[in-house]
Amino acid sequence: MRIRQPRALACASLSLVFTAAAATTVCGGLISRAQAQVKAVNPTPATNRVLRIGAIPDQKPEKLNRLYGLLSNELSRQLGFKVRYVPVTDYAAAVTAFRTGDLDLVWFGGLTGVQARLQKPGARVLAQRDIDVQFHSVFIANARSGLKPVLNVKGLSQLKGKRFTFGSESSTSGRLMPQVFLAKAGVKLTDFSGGAPGFSGSHDATIALVQSGAYDAGAVNEQVWKSSLHDRKVDRSKVIAIWRTPGYPDYHWIAQGDLDTRFGKGTTDRITAALVSLRRTNPSQAPILELFGAQQFVPAKADQYATIEKVGREIGKIR
Amino acid sequence: MNLSPVLELTGIQVPGRQQPRLCDVSLRLEAGERVALLGASGAGKSTLLAVANGLLVPEFGRVLWEGQPRSRSRRLSRRQQARIGTLWQDLRLIEELSVQQNLNAARLAVWGWPRALLNLLVPVETAACAAALERVELEPALLGQPVTALSGGQRQRVALARLLRQEPLLLLADEPLASLDPRLATELLELLLRQAEAPRALLLSLHRPDLLAGFDRVIGLRQGRLLFDGPVADLQADTLAQLYAEGP
Amino acid sequence: MISPLRPAPPLLLLLPAMALVPVLVALPFLVHGGGWDLIAQFLLAALHPSLDPLVLGSALSGLGVTVAIALLGWALSLALGLGAGLLSSRTLWATAWGLRWPAELIRRLLALPRSIHELLWGLLLLQLLGLQPAVAVLAIALPFGALVARVVADQLDALPGARLEALRAAGAPAGPALLTALGPALLPGVISYGGYRLECALRSATLLGVFGLGGLGTDLRLTLQSLQFNELWSGLWLLLATMLVLEGLVRLLRRRWCLPNRFGAGASGVGRRGREIAFLILLLLPLLLLQARAIGVDPMVLLHWNPLPNWGTSLRPAEVLALPWASLVGQTLGLTLLAAALAVGLAPLLLLLVAPWPWGRVLLQLVWALGRLWPPPLTALLLLFALKPGLVTAALALGFHNLGILGRLLLEAAEAAPEGAEQALAVAGTGPRLALLHGRYSALARSYLAYGAYRSDVILRETVVVGLVGAAGLGTALLEALSSFAWDQLLALMAVYALLTLVGEDLSDRARRRLLRCP
Repeated sequence: MRIRQPRALACASLSLVFTAAAATTVCGGLISRAQAQVKAVNPTPATNRVLRIGAIPDQKPEKLNRLYGLLSNELSRQLGFKVRYVPVTDYAAAVTAFRTGDLDLVWFGGLTGVQARLQKPGARVLAQRDIDVQFHSVFIANARSGLKPVLNVKGLSQLKGKRFTFGSESSTSGRLMPQVFLAKAGVKLTDFSGGAPGFSGSHDATIALVQSGAYDAGAVNEQVWKSSLHDRKVDRSKVIAIWRTPGYPDYHWIAQGDLDTRFGKGTTDRITAALVSLRRTNPSQAPILELFGAQQFVPAKADQYATIEKVGREIGKIR
Repeated sequence: MNLSPVLELTGIQVPGRQQPRLCDVSLRLEAGERVALLGASGAGKSTLLAVANGLLVPEFGRVLWEGQPRSRSRRLSRRQQARIGTLWQDLRLIEELSVQQNLNAARLAVWGWPRALLNLLVPVETAACAAALERVELEPALLGQPVTALSGGQRQRVALARLLRQEPLLLLADEPLASLDPRLATELLELLLRQAEAPRALLLSLHRPDLLAGFDRVIGLRQGRLLFDGPVADLQADTLAQLYAEGP
Repeated sequence: MISPLRPAPPLLLLLPAMALVPVLVALPFLVHGGGWDLIAQFLLAALHPSLDPLVLGSALSGLGVTVAIALLGWALSLALGLGAGLLSSRTLWATAWGLRWPAELIRRLLALPRSIHELLWGLLLLQLLGLQPAVAVLAIALPFGALVARVVADQLDALPGARLEALRAAGAPAGPALLTALGPALLPGVISYGGYRLECALRSATLLGVFGLGGLGTDLRLTLQSLQFNELWSGLWLLLATMLVLEGLVRLLRRRWCLPNRFGAGASGVGRRGREIAFLILLLLPLLLLQARAIGVDPMVLLHWNPLPNWGTSLRPAEVLALPWASLVGQTLGLTLLAAALAVGLAPLLLLLVAPWPWGRVLLQLVWALGRLWPPPLTALLLLFALKPGLVTAALALGFHNLGILGRLLLEAAEAAPEGAEQALAVAGTGPRLALLHGRYSALARSYLAYGAYRSDVILRETVVVGLVGAAGLGTALLEALSSFAWDQLLALMAVYALLTLVGEDLSDRARRRLLRCP
């Protein structure tokens, strides 16, 4: 036995080294993604400028990766410097990353955009999609819940006592505006079964959970709902739409206020122009707009979101 | 009346690393017999007892308990096991339980879950437990004590009482006297011999030839083979010397 | 004298499983049955993990980040813990400076980082440091360091002082005397606990990923949320393999270094352990540096603190007071007790149920491994496909995770316990289940329940991670406050959490001491 002990140690240390080395190699080899995911970039030297773009994670990650990969390439081509997509997995983390300067240009929702601008004075609203001027949420319900489609906001009062889920806590279309309309129908958050609503985390998860019956009803972004219907991801015998909200302004691009000093004069305007110039008729730009679910981007202004800020303050999501 | 021997071994063979631990051993144990098993360390006494209580399945040979083989391929039936009682050298009392709970543990083979769980909660079958204690000359007052509170001699007796409470037909004991002082050893042996009346039978391994007085028969093992099997009176000094001799 | 109607130890072990009764009664009302097809898809996907090179590559790189975060966080926590542990040792202060009160003071101060779950540390540091890999490393290192410090200090102070006095009396200076007299005695405990913490670090790193702090956990959550079960399982199997290798390695080293040498102290045995440990540390150091570089940990970020935004305007004491504190605390405590009872009680019960079948035990080990591996928020999301949201669902998720940890511990303890009593019962015809219950559980009961008391304390801290199921007490409120950037509420909630944890820690300590004291 004594003879075998050094061998056992050798095996042990070898396997440890192997595991760790494998892990390190993997990290090293596939570093780009890992870095993209978590690495912060120090103030970028002028010679090696990278514009870091991000987005609130409101949809499936593979779709986000494809979408922002394409967009990064297109922007890079038009702007003449490198553009990299940094995935973020949480709405609040996206706001924080913008505040701490880890992201330069972010596709925010209405609420998160206002939060970000308030936390980072000087930030600029650049553009929105054509559909964001009048965006809608859809209340959906499980077919067996007994909930019926309604014609006006008052009909939402049938949700009292039901199990209800929002999307992310900070989602405009999945939480903020639905909560505003629920309040108009006289439904308080404590009126739901269990004394509180759920927060599924994303629109896709809301659809899956309502379809499965975990929740009787939920509120989702209309664009995600439509594309799920279109892709036949939704079983229409199990989940139905019961009400579409009136329009409100939602998603928009927000940029750091110092891009002109860091990337050269006029950069912010060039980015806006690049976004607004995307066309469905251009074969390389069409898939981007297709994935964004828009015909084109249009310039946007901060004061369009005054209503969002107002209701955000009312329910305490903005302070 | 069952006339089959309590235990019958025929041509038992248990292989070992260098030499067989048991080689062609046959023996019969009739009701009422008290048999001592003698042999040097490593002669195969413990192996033989393990075969006898069913823990070890021999490579070759046949084991019959009350004329019945193993009912299943590798294991004895519960009913068979319940009729074989073993007094372990290390006693194997459950230290965390009381004397009464330990005594009742011997009945688990025939009890169902409800009574087994009840035994862990409240005193169960106190009269039967007290009777078992009396048979080993202990006070029934000990029933409520944790076994950790007992003296060495008391623990031996409680283990024996647990064996009796099992109501086995075949009593097996592997060097039960090994770690006891002379007075305790004699007392325990007397108690054991007294319990082994027909229809019971006792097979007890021993390394002290001076304690053979109360036995009916002696079996001598040497290097896994049966060297002697006969009445105590027939055991000669040279046979004894041969049993404990060194070398092959 | 054992009084009537006092459950005996083996029964004591099964008592927490009584929590199953209300859960089983409530279950029919909780099942909504809508997502069985999703659950079936999830289970079937276990057999068909995605082998797409892109998916595997992404999972592997995620795993690399998770392992690196775990290793770095763990190494840093050991360093911090050893230092802080020495500083909070009464023996050390008394020997070196003849004072005791600084040790007490440091000990009290260390209770604070310990009482806050690593996830909260992560989310808080994220606000202060930005989206940095160092955040996840620090989030593990700080609370773990405080835990290690406590164990080190406790062990140090529990060692007999006679040897130290002998050396001091012979004129040895304080430092060398402490090292010589107490170092070797301290080592096995530190190694054993350090190994355990490494396993915890891997689980924590995965969990932090689930909340977006990098690594494989992120992939797991996103693939689950988008119902990509085949891709989910690619990550899960990889993580399972890593975890089992790590656990095996830790067990091997622990056995090698912590058990007394059975072959006698030969010439080669003396100092062998010390040399081997030094060798391993030398090996680990460059590896850690490489990993830190690979995932981009930059110590300099610690110098760049971002102030909390709109700190002044967000202070609204009235709103903080208006939170439903009583129900939040009540829910959190209820969740803790239910989850703890389920985890502590189910492990011995399940082991008992499968006792007659050897393959049952293997199956149980696999399920437990998955339980350890699977971060509770993901289990909760999965459970929601079949169960209605609420406290019980959250407790089941939390209980399942801790069952995996407790089950493994119970099994190891059961295998290490002497088998004599159980064998004696089995040979006398007792069935395998009753033999296990009486023969082996008796000896295990007290130490297992003592560990269960400690685990309940951990579970209380962990309730924060299942907050996203909704109606799960302080955890849910915390996540909401965080997304509103409501610092005042966040701090108040964290303070209440810390207070609860400290009280819980004290209670579980008392319970443990009582259990370990002989009857």
